[in-house]
Amino acid sequence: MRVAWANFVAIYRKELQGYFATSLNYVIAAVYWFMAGVFYIILFNVVQTNVAAQDMQGQAGLSAPPVDVPAVILENYLGMLASLSLFILPLLSMNVFAQERQQGTLELLATSPITTTMVTVGKLAGVLTFFVTLLLPVMFYESLTLLQAEPPFSLGLILLGHGALVLLAAAILSLGLFVSATTESTLLAAVGTFALILLLWILQAVADRVSGVPAAIFRHLSLLQNYTNLIQGSVSTASLVLFASYVILGVFLTVQWVDGLRFQRS
Amino acid sequence: MITVEHLTKRYGTTLAVHDLNFSVEAGEILGFLGPNGAGKTTTMRMLTGYMPPTEGTAIIAGYDVLTDSLAVRQRIGYLPETPPLYRDMTVQGYLHFVARIKGVSAGDRPRRVDWAIERCGLVEHRNVLIRKLSKGFRQRVGIAQAIVHDPPVIILDEPTVGLDPKQIIEVRHLIKSLAGDHTIILSTHILPEVSMTCNRVVIIQKGRVVATDTIDGLLNRTDNRTQYELKLAGNLEPLQQALGRFPGVQAVDIQSEGDNHKVTVTTGGKTDVGPELTALVVQAGLKLYEMNRRRATLEDVFLQLTTQEEGTEAASETPAANAVVKSP
Repeated sequence: MRVAWANFVAIYRKELQGYFATSLNYVIAAVYWFMAGVFYIILFNVVQTNVAAQDMQGQAGLSAPPVDVPAVILENYLGMLASLSLFILPLLSMNVFAQERQQGTLELLATSPITTTMVTVGKLAGVLTFFVTLLLPVMFYESLTLLQAEPPFSLGLILLGHGALVLLAAAILSLGLFVSATTESTLLAAVGTFALILLLWILQAVADRVSGVPAAIFRHLSLLQNYTNLIQGSVSTASLVLFASYVILGVFLTVQWVDGLRFQRS
Repeated sequence: MITVEHLTKRYGTTLAVHDLNFSVEAGEILGFLGPNGAGKTTTMRMLTGYMPPTEGTAIIAGYDVLTDSLAVRQRIGYLPETPPLYRDMTVQGYLHFVARIKGVSAGDRPRRVDWAIERCGLVEHRNVLIRKLSKGFRQRVGIAQAIVHDPPVIILDEPTVGLDPKQIIEVRHLIKSLAGDHTIILSTHILPEVSMTCNRVVIIQKGRVVATDTIDGLLNRTDNRTQYELKLAGNLEPLQQALGRFPGVQAVDIQSEGDNHKVTVTTGGKTDVGPELTALVVQAGLKLYEMNRRRATLEDVFLQLTTQEEGTEAASETPAANAVVKSP
């Protein structure tokens, strides 16, 4: 157990160092922060305009339901961040195994006293940590604005919402790891991951078009549906279990695939 | 230290390695020799636990590669054909990482990494990013990576490929200096490398062992023929007649271009006609420009052994088989 932990730490540290040493990741971070910032400002203005309109209606004597502005902003913004992450996450996971295969370092890992599971879990933790670092500044300016609200908005809700986003990212990255393990080309890995998660994302749209048991299955498997459940504040065990299942499935498939590479003639 | 028993690897229907048996004593350097595609890399991969054998097994430092894979991996240092390097890491950072995943304890790590860096002549490059290193230095980092955890067994797959002559000599010295404390298997298709570094040689061909022997033993396998190659000018006839009467001479081959002649004299057994030959040349009044003695080399043995299979089908028509007799 201690050996496994030491191996996990070794891989995790190496991955993190790798992320901060790659210039591409700084570009990704810059784009992510820029887009997230722009979205936030736009969203903020739209909500403000809406609230102002409602105020006018109220003054005109029409009764409008009260709006919890911070909650509306947070919910919509988390939806936007998730869509943005769909484009960013495949770029983060594409290199993880494809590059190891390409430069032959997978052979080093495979001939070291370390299990493939530890390698995979360590790498997943590494890339997830990088994504969380991307979220930190975003969360900072959200808190800065939302916590000014009157009555005070709870920091817990912000954390919870972003927890859901991290969970979603973990599921996507885990599947991305698997796609990355199946190819030596990082480009192919990125495109493949994007296609796969897009499919899982829009399963809900498919579910709306069909009925009966398939619809229920699609709706249940949809990443978007479960993510929406979570950010709307309804923390359901089913959704949590689904995300956890995606993570475990990704890790499992990756380990199987990487171990299977040993049998191939290269 | 290493025992290989009935090791077999099949890829689908192709037989890559067939029933390999050999053993390596502690402290020995074993040369693993074979033409490209003979199954060298596949064998090395099975020994390192990277690839499971289809049949048979190998025992390394007392552990079975099949059942105790992790224990074996901890006791092996392996340099694959392409050194497994992370291009964005520094030499030192990379070696620290390798030491860590090879299970070197935190207390020992700095000492081991320093030792490997020093041993491989990387002291001045320890803080350089690997992608900025030249091919020769990358190869050294590859070797450093294989020895950083002080494994009893080191497996090197073509360690000198792509290096310049000076680097090749340095790497060979490094490998030789590691023997004794470590057991080394070295795969190569470069023959001088084997005669310079290895104690013993396993020659494989199409996945089968065709010979396991010491280098002297291998050399004695040939029929001990000696060849003299002379470049002469003048009238050859007296020499030809004299050679005809000479005991032990197996063949005389003459190629003439005007007044210049190239004469190849082949003798069998232990007869050495060198001194007599010079005397004859002087007596015949010929001008001698060049005289070479050629004994059987490891190359001859190698070609003989690795072309034997085709040899039986195509007789001695293959150029390689001819080379054993004729090549200069």
